[in-house]
Amino acid sequence: MASLSTTSLSFKAPSTRISQVLRKGSSFQSVTFGRFTSSTSKSLRLQISCAAKAETVQKVSDIVKEQLALTADTPLTAESKFTALGADSLDTVEIVMALEEKFNISVEESDAQNITTIQEAADLIEDLVQKKPAA
Amino acid sequence: MRTSIMSQMQRSFSIELPKLVPLQLPSRMETHLWYVIPDEVKSTSLLKQYSQLLSPPENDKVLQMRGDKLQKNALLARTLVRTTIARYQTNNGVDPRTLMFKKNMYGKPEVDWQNYKNCSDPPLHFNISHTDSLVACGVTLHVPVGIDLEDKDRKIKHDVLTLAERFYSTDEVTFLSTIPDPEVQRKEFIKLWTLKEAYVKALGKGFSAAPFNTFTIQFKAGTNGGYNLCKEETKKCNRDWKFGLLELADSHYAAVCIEDDQARAPMRVIVRKTIPFVEDELISESKFL
Repeated sequence: MASLSTTSLSFKAPSTRISQVLRKGSSFQSVTFGRFTSSTSKSLRLQISCAAKAETVQKVSDIVKEQLALTADTPLTAESKFTALGADSLDTVEIVMALEEKFNISVEESDAQNITTIQEAADLIEDLVQKKPAA
Repeated sequence: MRTSIMSQMQRSFSIELPKLVPLQLPSRMETHLWYVIPDEVKSTSLLKQYSQLLSPPENDKVLQMRGDKLQKNALLARTLVRTTIARYQTNNGVDPRTLMFKKNMYGKPEVDWQNYKNCSDPPLHFNISHTDSLVACGVTLHVPVGIDLEDKDRKIKHDVLTLAERFYSTDEVTFLSTIPDPEVQRKEFIKLWTLKEAYVKALGKGFSAAPFNTFTIQFKAGTNGGYNLCKEETKKCNRDWKFGLLELADSHYAAVCIEDDQARAPMRVIVRKTIPFVEDELISESKFL
């Protein structure tokens, strides 16, 4: 298990954040993209990413609202969990596909399973968009 | 028993609950499928009684749902589980508030029977599923169970075959692609989704243990609604897994999956509609699609 003390890292971009993701068996009833993650893959994933642009978050929110047919008064933030918004497994699959189409990216099933909120989806999208080879 | 009740004291057990009508246990090859139609539960005082059944963490989870409708459905789901399991206990009825739950190592919820060591009741298995408009709970004796619901009229935004090619097995894609009518194709896609989801939930090891494209569920012609589960890679079929597909409340497809390595007889599903504490209605027995 890698241990990293944040004081030993220095980043110049102010919006950079380090997110440490420990995958454990998550709630069976909370459907993440593709269902609950297996606790046997107890890998510590260190993600260093720039927080997604507000624009990306907005686009993801719009897609989620549309897929889940949310009413205008549904409280929705970047931290909103898909399951708390009423998404089931088929919804999450369709959301991922809509995001792929919108942003012209391809999401691996293993990555899809790790997304649980709008913010996480936006972060992954920006990461994938950045990694795409230059046209 | 005393210690478990003592540990529950922080919750207000002085509130009297209406009596729950006891239930006969399911037999081994039977699944009892209970459902609640949220729109039929209108009484705010009844809903308040329901929330008093839940543990504090369960109530917190209900409150995390965004919006009244989602909160109500989450409340009804937990209420359905607690009251139904409590009713199957034969020792003078068990207070549904005292039931404890835990998760298996992969996150599947199950009853924590440790407080009932002295009871002669054999362990029950359960699984829940809900949509916007229906909440259901399947209960079995001794065997793992998984259930899944989908609204029959659910719109699929993407092309059904594109979805199938990505997520289903090759035999399932072949099956779907031979269906000429797009509406029938959409319905068959949804039926397959519920069957596959019910299997993964019965297995209880997480989606990554059984990705949808690694297995095929095939309708067995000539049986009363039977299905075969076969591995994509080897094409070998496993007869321990039994499936049933039904229609619930004229509005939903419901798939039930159980694992039973001892019986070769087809599974039975007894469907009952309920409003906890209020009424039960026997709907059907093994009426499969």
